[in-house]
Amino acid sequence: MRDAVQDEIIGQFDGLEWLDKYGLLISFAKELEPMDKEFKTEENSISGCQSKVWIRTYRENGRLIINLDSEAMITKGIIALLLKVVNNRPPREILDLDLYFIDEIGLKSNLSPARADGLASIIRRIREVAEVEAN
Amino acid sequence: MKDLRKDFPILEKQVYGKRLVYLDNAATSQKPNSVIDTISDYYSSDNSNIHRGVHYLSEVSSEKYEKAREKVSKFIGAGEPGEVTFTAGTTDSINQVACSLKSILKGNEVLVSGVEHHSNIVPWQLAGATLRAIPMDEGCNLLSDSMKITDKTKLIAISHASNVLGSVNPIKEVVEIAKEHDIPVLVDAAQSIQHMPIDVQDIGCDFLAASGHKMYAATGVGVLYTSERFGDILPARGGGGMVDRVTLEETTYLKPPLRYEAGTPHIAGAISIAAAIDYMQDIGMDKIREHEHEVYSYARNKLLETDGVTVYGDTEEMCGSISFNLDGIHHYDTGLILDKMGIAVRTGHHCAQPLMRTLGTEGTVRASFALYNTKEDADMLMEGIEKVRMMYA
Repeated sequence: MRDAVQDEIIGQFDGLEWLDKYGLLISFAKELEPMDKEFKTEENSISGCQSKVWIRTYRENGRLIINLDSEAMITKGIIALLLKVVNNRPPREILDLDLYFIDEIGLKSNLSPARADGLASIIRRIREVAEVEAN
Repeated sequence: MKDLRKDFPILEKQVYGKRLVYLDNAATSQKPNSVIDTISDYYSSDNSNIHRGVHYLSEVSSEKYEKAREKVSKFIGAGEPGEVTFTAGTTDSINQVACSLKSILKGNEVLVSGVEHHSNIVPWQLAGATLRAIPMDEGCNLLSDSMKITDKTKLIAISHASNVLGSVNPIKEVVEIAKEHDIPVLVDAAQSIQHMPIDVQDIGCDFLAASGHKMYAATGVGVLYTSERFGDILPARGGGGMVDRVTLEETTYLKPPLRYEAGTPHIAGAISIAAAIDYMQDIGMDKIREHEHEVYSYARNKLLETDGVTVYGDTEEMCGSISFNLDGIHHYDTGLILDKMGIAVRTGHHCAQPLMRTLGTEGTVRASFALYNTKEDADMLMEGIEKVRMMYA
């Protein structure tokens, strides 16, 4: 099923050269609210990424609120996009999401083993949390 | 020196529509046509298992395999071909030594340098030894005079050149001191054998490990030099092709090198190393060193002259790798943009986490050079760095 947020992201990346895609990711990264230092703990970090990534989640009014941060800008840009799609939704809805935008904007290489499985690890972690919260 | 790029077909390739600038040679080098042809020819006309056949092809491949051993032996200045074993690579070579010496190492100590790759750390820990680093100064110059050898010290295992910094360790000095205490020395030559002439007898080490794929040959094959005085150590692996007599009660082993080569070896790989040596020797190891030194110094100086760039390590002799970071920009971010400009570098801890801790960083950007790199490649890297800085400004 198509999703309006993902379709908008795909539209923004459509037709861009690689360096311009990265430029766009960097601008999204700059908009991402940084995570407080106190939450950047070993426990909150996600392994399998080439740069450090931290996750913090909590539930508010039946919705799952997700904070993500990274020390690398491109990673930050990617997680900013991811948050636009998955954040602030009921856990069940998150589990049902088909994240097709990753493939369509050409970020699939970030899912490959060559990129140390980074994005895949982040998505897996979000799904794990959503799974627990949904039950 | 003549343009060597044309000998390497992969360097003609464009990535993302741009000329490939390959600066990840410390990870693996590209292969010249002569090596590619040797591998292809082996499988199209000579393929057969070695040492055990009575037929024509087996004779041919056995001869080529043993000729490759002779070639490696001469290339590294070994006393005789029997001191050279084909392994799966540097990591495998070091693991084999660690396994063979386990009974001596267990509960004792191995001295290493502070710039070691994990493959010259973990095998010793697996063998039950503790590790102690020989001190180095701020530029990562090894302070061999401060090396403390105790009763517990049973081996010194040291890289010739760092895969991260390109720093060259004074291995001859280390061996001289080790000899006074009758301690064997293992040299990890993974990052030096492709850059400079190596002579194990001149160095005086007892073991030397290297990889084929970093010296323009195939992946999955490497060499281990073991001096004659360690020729009777227990093999790390058992199996076919390395035994004299086997009974269910007891087994006796062949003499080296075959006692260390259980199972069918990487025959095509071993032969490809011989082809790679021919290629390098046709150019001349001294000439390679001279050319690489010129390009390396050019690139390093350009980086040092640029504001906002931190270059790691500063030793008397350097080769191969240069590690750096751009101030305020994560190494991964730098590498991703360079990649999209056709520039292949490596980012991260480069399997040298203890060194990263010493340098006070999580990781670096590493540009590593080979004989086909030119000053133009260094200029492209600098252009790439400018672009990176603009992107993240």
